[in-house]
Amino acid sequence: MASLLQVENISKTYTDKNYWFNHRSKTVLQPLTFELNAYQTLAIVGEIGSGKSTLAKLLVGAESPSTGCIKLNGQTLDNGNFKQRCQHIRMIFQDSGTTLNPNLTIQQLLTEPLELNTQLTVDQQTVLIQHTLQQVGLLAEHMNFYPHMFSGGQKQRISLARAIILQPQVIILDEALASLDPSLRAQMINLLLDLQQQMGLAYVLISHNLGIVRHLSDDMLVLENGRVVEYGKTSQILTKPTHYYTQKLIINQHLQLFKK
Amino acid sequence: MNLLDIRNLSIELKTTDGNIRAVDRVSLTMKEGEVRGLVGESGSGKSLLAQAIIGVLDERWIVHADRFHWRNQDLMLLTPEQRKNIITKDVAMIFQEPSSCLDPIKTVGKQLEEAVADQQLSGFFWQRKQQRKTEVVQLLHKVGIKNHEQCYHSYPYQLTEAFCQRVMIAIALAKKPILLIADEPTAAMESKNQGQIFRLLASLNQLKHMSILLISHDLENVTHWTQTITVMYSGQFVEAGTTEQIFAHPFHPYTQALLDSSPNANILISAKAKLTALSGSIPLLKHLPIGCRLGPRCPRAQKECVIAPKTQNFHGHQVNCHYSLKDEH
Repeated sequence: MASLLQVENISKTYTDKNYWFNHRSKTVLQPLTFELNAYQTLAIVGEIGSGKSTLAKLLVGAESPSTGCIKLNGQTLDNGNFKQRCQHIRMIFQDSGTTLNPNLTIQQLLTEPLELNTQLTVDQQTVLIQHTLQQVGLLAEHMNFYPHMFSGGQKQRISLARAIILQPQVIILDEALASLDPSLRAQMINLLLDLQQQMGLAYVLISHNLGIVRHLSDDMLVLENGRVVEYGKTSQILTKPTHYYTQKLIINQHLQLFKK
Repeated sequence: MNLLDIRNLSIELKTTDGNIRAVDRVSLTMKEGEVRGLVGESGSGKSLLAQAIIGVLDERWIVHADRFHWRNQDLMLLTPEQRKNIITKDVAMIFQEPSSCLDPIKTVGKQLEEAVADQQLSGFFWQRKQQRKTEVVQLLHKVGIKNHEQCYHSYPYQLTEAFCQRVMIAIALAKKPILLIADEPTAAMESKNQGQIFRLLASLNQLKHMSILLISHDLENVTHWTQTITVMYSGQFVEAGTTEQIFAHPFHPYTQALLDSSPNANILISAKAKLTALSGSIPLLKHLPIGCRLGPRCPRAQKECVIAPKTQNFHGHQVNCHYSLKDEH
């Protein structure tokens, strides 16, 4: 059986068109291949400039890959076809507060993806929005509120609601947990795990906090300067890192510090 | 000897609807050469407390304390001018997001030269310029910047966040402070750079015997670097003690919850298991609960919690709770 998400030899090179005769180009992502199944989480770990955000952009279709292809359920995702991709692959950003339009109520915010991607009537939309808000632990009445009326943790829940309202199959979390306070982060982790169980979601988790990576993910991909240095089961990599770079990352975080 | 001794410090914000108590009776003691962590989630008043210590709060805020001593000298009795003299000499502060704290239109070298006071230089006026430059280069070396010439002529936007933080530390070190207050020095930095900054602070503590108050919102980040920790929640004092005491036997339900909610601290729980998290969120300043402010979220809350608890001290391990976990361990 084919995996839910198959990425084959995907790479990204930026060329500077200002130089006509000698094209200057920079490869930010070397060809890489991975697979992801439903109910699974893949963590992408690396430093700034390692290409992890570029990979996320390629997956959601914000950038087109230089080589390789992305397959969802065995079907190739075309670059221009956003209708197909928006439904199935959604993304949550680090700073959720700034991704919500301050002029719109939560209802208007959540209606937008529905109008663009579905043929639901207004009543059906309202019901779905209320249901989704309850799913992420907010109240149905919250849909008449504006983004500034919410706290940071609640805003993150709203952007999660916006991601799951189209019943996607893959959600990309680009440092989505980094800016949250510890007690809210634990709530968010629990919520993400719940939703994964209920809806069979696959997550692509981009994070530099190895504690969260260890807890949430099944597989792990370590990137260094756009090159994959390690790919495998999270538990294996964290207990027996083979590459020097991964070892350094683990030592830096003092993962073994709090052995009780 | 206690460097800083604060008892029951309260900070109130004047509003049209009466005063709001943003920080409520917080105690903090720092010994010389100590690295103390001040931990609290956003809105817990930890930055306010730091600003009250260096005295930069404007007239909208009212600060009062039972005791506010700096090296056995009562700061509350001094005039603002005298107080400023003492604080600027002995205390320095570094902030989060260093690149936004530096002046974008001046080179790093010029900003560092500003920080070097005239009194530190000996020599005639025509020698001053050269001396100042040597001083700046020495400061840059102290914070681990080897390529001083390039850094001297760079603007803040040309440097990475970690380098900017090093420059901030260099500016703070110019006055040779006794106490350095670091307000989330590694927020929005990667683990590798975080480690570098923390190692730099630790070495300054060891070599220069400088005390450091390390403010952070994340308990797991600072524990490796601190000897003692003070935990705050929503402007109230929660718990203080050595790092071991806080980690091995937290007495306060909030500290326990913080530890339980961190995947790093619970290395033994299986992956994808539910973390124990406090329900609800941090109260806003407008809607503060009476008594113990953790009350509505606390798993151990009872009727008595509407009255603010008194601080109890068990062998230097202070806790502020009616129903502490002390007997459970």
